[in-house]
Amino acid sequence: MPKVTIDHQVYEFEGRPKALQFCLDHGIELPHFCYHPAMSIPANCRECLIEVGMPAIDRETRQPKLDKDGNPVIRFMPKLMTSCSQDLADGMVIRTHRTSEKVARAQQDTLEFLLINHPLDCPICDQAGHCPLQIQAYKYGPEGSRFEFRKVRKPKHIKLGPRVMLDGERCINCTRCVRFTDEISKSRQLTIIERGVRNYPITPPGVTFDDPYSMNVIDICPVGALTSIDFRFKARIWEMSSAPSITTTNAKGSNCHYWVKDNLVLRITARPNAAVNDYWLPDEDRLDYHRFNENRPDGPRIDGRPATWDEAYARAAEVLRSVPGEGILFLGSAHATVEDNYLLTKLAKALGADVPRYIPHVEPGHGDGWLRTDDRTPNAEGCRRLGIEPVDEAMIRAKMEAGEIKAVYALEDDPVAAGLFSAEALANVPVILHPYHTTNETLPVTDVALPAAMVVETVGTYVNCDGHAQRVRPAKAIRDVNRTLVLEMDKGRPDKHGTPFDRWHHEDHQVNCRPSWVSLPAVAQKAGHPMPYKGPKYIMAELARTDPAFSGATYEAMGLSGVRLESVGEAV
Amino acid sequence: MEATNGAPQTKAGDWRSYERVLLPPVRDLHKIDVYEQHGGYEALREALTSDRWDPKSVTDEVKASGLRGRGGAGFPTGLKWSFMPPVDPDVPRFLCCNGDESEPGTFKDRQLMEYNPHLVFEGMLLACYAISAKAGYLYVRGEYADWISHMERELENAYAKGYVGENIMGSGFSCELIIHKGAGAYICGEESSLMESLEGKRAYPRIKPPFPAQRGIWGYPTTINNVETLACVPLILRRGGAWYAKIGAQRHPGPVLYGISGHVNRPGVYEYPTGMLISDLIYEVAGGMRGGKKLKAVVPGGSSTPILRADMIDGVTMDAETLRDAGSMMGTGGMLVMDEDTDIVSWLRRVTHFYHHESCGQCTPCREGAGWLENIVTRIDEGEGRLRDLDLLIDLCSQMEGRTVCALADAAAWPVRYTVTRFRDEFEARCRPSLVAAG
Ligand SMILES: Cc1cc2nc3c(=O)[nH]c(=O)nc-3n(C[C@H](O)[C@H](O)[C@H](O)COP(=O)(O)O)c2cc1C
Ligand code: SF4
Ligand code: SF4
Ligand code: FES
Repeated sequence: MPKVTIDHQVYEFEGRPKALQFCLDHGIELPHFCYHPAMSIPANCRECLIEVGMPAIDRETRQPKLDKDGNPVIRFMPKLMTSCSQDLADGMVIRTHRTSEKVARAQQDTLEFLLINHPLDCPICDQAGHCPLQIQAYKYGPEGSRFEFRKVRKPKHIKLGPRVMLDGERCINCTRCVRFTDEISKSRQLTIIERGVRNYPITPPGVTFDDPYSMNVIDICPVGALTSIDFRFKARIWEMSSAPSITTTNAKGSNCHYWVKDNLVLRITARPNAAVNDYWLPDEDRLDYHRFNENRPDGPRIDGRPATWDEAYARAAEVLRSVPGEGILFLGSAHATVEDNYLLTKLAKALGADVPRYIPHVEPGHGDGWLRTDDRTPNAEGCRRLGIEPVDEAMIRAKMEAGEIKAVYALEDDPVAAGLFSAEALANVPVILHPYHTTNETLPVTDVALPAAMVVETVGTYVNCDGHAQRVRPAKAIRDVNRTLVLEMDKGRPDKHGTPFDRWHHEDHQVNCRPSWVSLPAVAQKAGHPMPYKGPKYIMAELARTDPAFSGATYEAMGLSGVRLESVGEAV
Repeated sequence: MEATNGAPQTKAGDWRSYERVLLPPVRDLHKIDVYEQHGGYEALREALTSDRWDPKSVTDEVKASGLRGRGGAGFPTGLKWSFMPPVDPDVPRFLCCNGDESEPGTFKDRQLMEYNPHLVFEGMLLACYAISAKAGYLYVRGEYADWISHMERELENAYAKGYVGENIMGSGFSCELIIHKGAGAYICGEESSLMESLEGKRAYPRIKPPFPAQRGIWGYPTTINNVETLACVPLILRRGGAWYAKIGAQRHPGPVLYGISGHVNRPGVYEYPTGMLISDLIYEVAGGMRGGKKLKAVVPGGSSTPILRADMIDGVTMDAETLRDAGSMMGTGGMLVMDEDTDIVSWLRRVTHFYHHESCGQCTPCREGAGWLENIVTRIDEGEGRLRDLDLLIDLCSQMEGRTVCALADAAAWPVRYTVTRFRDEFEARCRPSLVAAG
């Protein structure tokens, strides 16, 4: 296998990797700005310079020249090379800043240049704290500045489009944003204008940067030049915590981070996952956080009146016991996790009811063949794999009219708003509901409301449209103290909990809801059908062991990037 | 003869009897009939129709001539052509002729476009033939609007006479020539940037490798040459590579259009062999220093080439090797002559302004460095400089040179590095006296 020597250490490589990516993959950090693994390589920031040498070849023998110790003579290129664009070759010798003064100095020089016209307004910049320029300037940059002139003035506060704001002065011209719209989203809505030090990215005349993926440029901008109009100035990065999870606006399950301050979700950013969304996230996924913070319920209710959780569970069990099992309509939910839906099927079975059905939420034309799908729910595939099929609306309504449905148990959905039943139709049957919001249109006809934790508050598994099973983790705290949730959100760490660095202690923002994997077993217990699970992890372990549709999908295996499940049955 | 600052003997031989070939003294040579009467398009006819020539032998003849590019870098032209990959009928190939001519002090290609456009066309067609390209682009600096329409007209005439287009002169060789109006920036003259511009994109130079012969216009194999370079090709075919190789300096032979500007009595474009003594060019060709003033400095080949003090030009001739030894470069042969009254700091200020203004802004060291250089030189020029500024200037040059995508950063740094080191006393004298001691 071909070999390359980096800072005296020999590595083997395959194919034709670029030096920078190879170093990053092998734990060698090289400063860089313009390089992005998903896009073309312009090598324009000139920060990633390295020394590159090749064995000298004897003209006559065509063999490598050897020095008196028998080692190959290395001929270094006179110029420093950009590692991002440098192909590795067999026998190549590379010196990074760790072994070369020349390289360290060059990296420092480029940073000095980058900073002379940069505003250095970090104290008011949203990027501060996670800014590649700030971080790398501290690590590799010069101390102080030799620049004694007025910085270049460029346009600021430019709304490139409805969601992205530009500060031209902060831009370091890496062209990542332009390349994103050229090569990834293909909207071609950005270009660099002006020349030299006056350069900045902007939309062509008459064009608005309304690319449905526009906000990705905020993530990839290595400085605070591009900020989210929605999030600007709301929080400093060090005041927030982030939880690795997935978005739930559609069936793709794009990987994300939920950012929380004062126990409110304020921002959603992309989390790389080559098997799902690469580095990207649609704008609608990023802006889908208000529903986690607003119109949330304040605990369980019986007939619209506040109750304790125990009272509500008892009442629900009473309802279930009061009607024949086959008369109960169980509605699963493509919004809910696999674990919650699985428990629901168990309860239905224990009571002798039909297998639950779920209400599909499909919006034809919404999908784009990329990270947006027609299906506006995150777990239809998970439901299907559990044997939960979409409701046959006509059949169900006929049953309702015929009085065959004696009670409705609905997980995390809104049958009235979804148009499955009218409120009048439900008025005469007892309804048990696990709602997310106080605006749920089924609530007025609900007998027992058991507010459910949302994706940002729970632990569980979703299966995306491609059969990729992924875990979610709690990003914000609920009112209840739940050991599983506490452990999953790292709340046990004393440096995080109960200190000013605690992002979750804001009591007003702690919703009095419970994961359905807490409520369902509680109801089942009181209805006389105990479910002996210690938590969602054990539910998935059982499914992974016993159900081929979930084979291998343990929490350990899913980790942060998920597990691709075997395909089963015909596609929906 | 006045003091010449140099020995009278020149490598160019007896240049006084030199007969011009690129710009011969023929009235209305730009007209196709006149051009034909003077042997125009004969070399093309020969190459395309006689058994003696095929693409390889044309390339070999150019190699034998020793022709080196006139665009600035002096790269051997025949060798460049031979970098083109083997012909693949499915892969288009292109020639590109660089008429962007924007380096300050350079105005010689325009002369060819005006007075001998058909020589350029014929050279392009021969080059297309040699590299098996079916299309050649002539990229002309946008500000040359008049010359563009002038050449468009003449190109029409060449098409009408069957020298360009389908099945040229019945030879079976077809070739289109396209004149492209430049996008108005100095950087468009850099070869890879020119190609981006030609493709309708922002003129950002590309990283190399891949080189144009591997991936040029639209990603296809491309050869790019300067206007004057290609204008030499018909002459080489007409009179032989050996004839050409004997003109001027042995290792850098041929006729050159010297564009002489500045404080001389007769500035202008002069055709002479390479290897002319700088002093001959100033005192003989350009009529000596204006007002009988003393020579102070010469920039031999366009504003980016290192400046030479008057005492450095003794015996220095205009060819790559000699100029390198003397501490400068041949560049484009656009010579800037400065007399004793020249304020060298102000001159450098103007030069730094140019490169600051023209940096495309793609790479950090050039984008930021070029402006910083101008800032400092301006401050010195205005009497507000500090002595330490001089060392900072040199330091910044080192931070720019050889670290960028294209050579503009070097072009911006060299004038600073060499003007400051070669005229350091003048810079020091200009720095604020009160701060001199403090540094
Ligand atoms: C910043 C920059 C500007 C240039 N401008 C020109 C130009 O205006 N005309 C030109 O012929 N070559 C110019 N060149 C050189 C070209 O890149 C290229 O080397 C040349 O056209 C090759 O032709 P030749 O081999 O015939 O010299 C420039 C190079 C640089 C780095
Ligand atoms: S705005 Fe950001 S991403 Fe775009 S070019 Fe500037 S620094 Fe790069
Ligand atoms: S060196 Fe200057 S002109 Fe050349 S690509 Fe870089 S920024 Fe542009
Ligand atoms: S990462 Fe910008 S030049 Fe390599």
